[in-house]
Amino acid sequence: MDFFVQLFTNPVGFYNQHELLIAQIGINAILAIAIFVTFYSGQLTLANAGFMAIGAYTTVIMSLYLPTPLPLNMLAGALLAGLVSVVVGLPVLRLRGVFLAIATIGFVEALRLGVILNVPITGEGQGLHNPTADPLGGILPILISLPVLAYLVWRLTKSRLGQAWSAIREDELAASSNGINVPLYKMIAFIISAVLAGYAGALETHINFFVDPTEYGITRTIQILTFAVVGGTTNVFGPIVGAVFLTALPEIVRQFASYRDVVNGVILILVIIFRPQGIVGRGGLAIIRPRWWIRWRARGRTAAAH
Amino acid sequence: MTQQVLNAIFIGSIYALFAVGYTLVFGVLDVLNLAHSAVFMLGAVITYSLVALHGMPFLPAAIIAILVCGLLGLLIEFVALRPLRRRNAPPISALISTIGLALIFVAIVEQATPGTLFGWLWQDGANSVRFPAGTVPNPTYHLAGLTIEGTKLGILITSVVLMLVLGYVIRYTQIGRALRAVAENRRAATLLGINVDRIFASTLFLSSALGGLAGLLFGLAISDIGPYIGRDQVELKGLAVIVLGGMGSIPGAVLGGYLLGLIEVLAFVRFGSNVEAGVAFAALFLVLVLRPQGLFGARLRERL
Amino acid sequence: MGALLQLTDVRRHFGGVQAVDGVSLEVEEGTIFGLIGPNGAGKTTLVNLVTGYIRSQSGSIRLTSSGGTAELARRPPHAIAGLGIARTFQTLRLYRNLTATENVLIGMHLRRRDDTLQQLLPLRPLMRLSDRRLGEARTLLQTVGLNPDLHGDRRASTLSYGDQRRLEVARALALKPKLLILDEPAAGMNPAEKDRVRELIQKLNADGLTVLLIDHDMRLVMGVCQRIVVLNFGRKIADGPPATVSNDPAVVTAYLGSHAPESASHVPGSEEMDVAIPSKPAASTEPASPLLEVRDLEVSYGAIKAVRGVSFGVGKGEIVALIGANGAGKSTILNTLSGVLRPHSGIARFGDLDLTTAAPDKIVRAGLAQVPEGREILARLTVRENLELGGWARRDRGAAHREIGNLMKQFPILGQRQNLPAGQLSGGEQQILAIARGLLARPRLLLLDEPSLGLAPQMVDAVFEIIQRIHNEGVTILLVEQNALRALEIADRAYVVETGRILLSGTGAALRRNPEVQKAYLGG
Repeated sequence: MDFFVQLFTNPVGFYNQHELLIAQIGINAILAIAIFVTFYSGQLTLANAGFMAIGAYTTVIMSLYLPTPLPLNMLAGALLAGLVSVVVGLPVLRLRGVFLAIATIGFVEALRLGVILNVPITGEGQGLHNPTADPLGGILPILISLPVLAYLVWRLTKSRLGQAWSAIREDELAASSNGINVPLYKMIAFIISAVLAGYAGALETHINFFVDPTEYGITRTIQILTFAVVGGTTNVFGPIVGAVFLTALPEIVRQFASYRDVVNGVILILVIIFRPQGIVGRGGLAIIRPRWWIRWRARGRTAAAH
Repeated sequence: MTQQVLNAIFIGSIYALFAVGYTLVFGVLDVLNLAHSAVFMLGAVITYSLVALHGMPFLPAAIIAILVCGLLGLLIEFVALRPLRRRNAPPISALISTIGLALIFVAIVEQATPGTLFGWLWQDGANSVRFPAGTVPNPTYHLAGLTIEGTKLGILITSVVLMLVLGYVIRYTQIGRALRAVAENRRAATLLGINVDRIFASTLFLSSALGGLAGLLFGLAISDIGPYIGRDQVELKGLAVIVLGGMGSIPGAVLGGYLLGLIEVLAFVRFGSNVEAGVAFAALFLVLVLRPQGLFGARLRERL
Repeated sequence: MGALLQLTDVRRHFGGVQAVDGVSLEVEEGTIFGLIGPNGAGKTTLVNLVTGYIRSQSGSIRLTSSGGTAELARRPPHAIAGLGIARTFQTLRLYRNLTATENVLIGMHLRRRDDTLQQLLPLRPLMRLSDRRLGEARTLLQTVGLNPDLHGDRRASTLSYGDQRRLEVARALALKPKLLILDEPAAGMNPAEKDRVRELIQKLNADGLTVLLIDHDMRLVMGVCQRIVVLNFGRKIADGPPATVSNDPAVVTAYLGSHAPESASHVPGSEEMDVAIPSKPAASTEPASPLLEVRDLEVSYGAIKAVRGVSFGVGKGEIVALIGANGAGKSTILNTLSGVLRPHSGIARFGDLDLTTAAPDKIVRAGLAQVPEGREILARLTVRENLELGGWARRDRGAAHREIGNLMKQFPILGQRQNLPAGQLSGGEQQILAIARGLLARPRLLLLDEPSLGLAPQMVDAVFEIIQRIHNEGVTILLVEQNALRALEIADRAYVVETGRILLSGTGAALRRNPEVQKAYLGG
């Protein structure tokens, strides 16, 4: 409880004391947004840890060997992740359900164990020392990126693109009868998700002195998946809430810190069984969104239509 | 080289035994049970705990561990799978709920040290241990220039015998037919009077018992025992195996297990240990993309 | 007016089954075109070929419009939609978790410019286009008879069945199609709802839309279509205006089924047996102490009521038939009796067993077995294994084994093929296997769901002869059949089911003479 007391009575002290936690929450929330995009289009892809690795390694390697400025390196990392996602997505996105999930896990591990650990430039098993690491300065870009990305993705879900994603998620066959190019829109979701994950990876290197290949494996993938499932994927705020909640939980309840995975597992099972739409699912929003707001929205829409 | 191939067969037996349980659940329930690797780990941990902490002889300890793992299978069915089936949840949900159970199982062992809640089960936290020397007799045979350890030979024999028995049961008994009926068409099976829920529970019990056995054999002869042996050593490799063999196919899983063992050994001999680790996933990825029904012919594609 | 859609010798088979076997037809622009035929005739396959869900194996499908002629056969579904063909689905395929308005908005996908950038800055003045779309969606909802204020913000899955069907039409219309394909838009509707569907189709056509209508309900199709094509076993058996088609003897046979041939034909794969058909006492009344008793049974799928208060009984030793068109709720009744579906309310008793709560395996063990629609044999198991599983619910394995031996003698085809995977049997052989498998549960009451579905005429004869024979051996039978005349020939009593209700009941012979029955089927 000290956690909350401090948060409200002494926010500056809180910030100083929990900087790393705050940064980690931000990174995780961006990763949650990344997996949300593919979830929203009805695909369970678990490749995000791999794209994160691409973003992270690209950024650090460029910082080590090229004179380019850091923001450019980070951008390059995100874009390279996007590029790789096209190559991976073309064959993989034809798969569905469990098979898609397995294939993307295969990609993550093949990338980590097959490529990263075998190419000298990545430092192989030792990882890479990051020359530009700046744990304190790194927080600001994270805190700015998160709301911007959340806003962009939120608006994206309202656009023609986002509606096509909803349609594909609900019923692929019907979507194609409405003229939606299903493979294309799935691919777009996959690329956007990869770019976001790559960007999160790049941001994360900024607060760490070290890029460690073990960070980008199955454990990370499952952690990201957990954010989305627990938070709910009806809208973009679900996974963000999930990421914030699950990242902060062990700090809030110190007794749980060592049994953190037990708590995560229990939460995961409880949510999937009793609240499949997630914490912020349909119906969950009703708690946050008061009745008058819904009525007011409805009236505004009716008026606009006439 | 011949020695390496021999090793491939030993490790392949473990993969096959593990993957058979994995694929059995996928074939019958259409669910990927990601807690299977945690049960594998618990099979080794429980046996170790009974032998090293509670002074039990190996054989009864192993039997108890296998039974406990079977019961854990029932736990998986009742906690993570059945509630979702009742709700007609998409199959992906079961994937996630079994991940939840796996997290719990692994964390319980990982956090167990003397004096903690699970101190009676495990005392070494995240560290790895070995069975005390002499837990089982381990004579070494030398044959035509090859070295064969007794325990490894034991693994090979145990797994081959078990897989033959399993194959017989599924092929030629009424229970086996019911299992295949449920795997193929749940509705038709129900209309024949088969209690589908009971078949599912039995499948989970059987699969998890096999997984636990694979784990304890693995800990006995191949590797150290620790909370991460399931997750790091066999979870994803098991996936690769059942994908190679065709998801849901038992003969496919057996062949896939030995094939992966062989591929890994070849990769190791040819390119070194770094490549060996990644080759399973490259294979997994390629097979899914190029031949999602698995490597083997139409006859093996038939499930179970 | 030229042909908007032209099919030439289109073929598609699945394994050994010719689902569509060389069909040619032309849909004139501006008309309502009907495509009818009994269940399994290949109508939906044909629609899936036209809309690109299934690739045709030969033949051409052309769409001719102001923009020129386009060959559809190799295009993906979304491209075909782009050419102006919209469709609805026989089994509803709405975006269930989205609101009605969102469903319609998605239907406009192809007419909507990409507005991603604009959405990033959602200021009122910049949103005029999206407001206009919203207005159009409301108009479309009104067109199909939905109230935008009442239904617009409701999730599609919470709408009533009829409203869901209407919403699907609205979503298809949102494409502004040149051709609208309606796949059974009135299935499962009551007469009043069907009238509204008819009015809607006529209104849309009056506004210049070409409509391709697939339906089982002859009344609806005959009422609105200018031209009709009838399919049976994947082939075109009639083509012409409604009056000609409805009097075509081939069509009447396809719909009502044929009478049994005068001399009982030899059953392929069975021993010649003298089947004496005993003249039955006309038990027109319900049995006093029925083996099976059903009272006020109601069954729903979500918002959709499939069975609405059905009562009937089956006495020991009877054959009782439930007849009626596709989607009337017959199979739903059987599945409820087998415990696979749970009723919303009502009573279903089999002896002392309450079928509304008993587990499916208990029901089989108590002696109520079902031979399901589509046979549902286990294709990957061998014939013998299928039969052995038929005896699953029994304790006397030895006796079951002997019975398998007997059945194989009775149906030599099963004996000859006992080690083949059952999936390799022909449709008729699979049906024999399914019935034999059902008998091995040694049922006191056997439910037979559409045993003649998709079978060639001689095979239908064979199957009915088998039913007759097992009945003579003392098995009580509840038969669900579309082939009404054949079912009525062997039934002691029968019930005509329509849209989840029992319309008529009586002895088989009486119903066979009843003109109402013919009307229920052909809409005469």
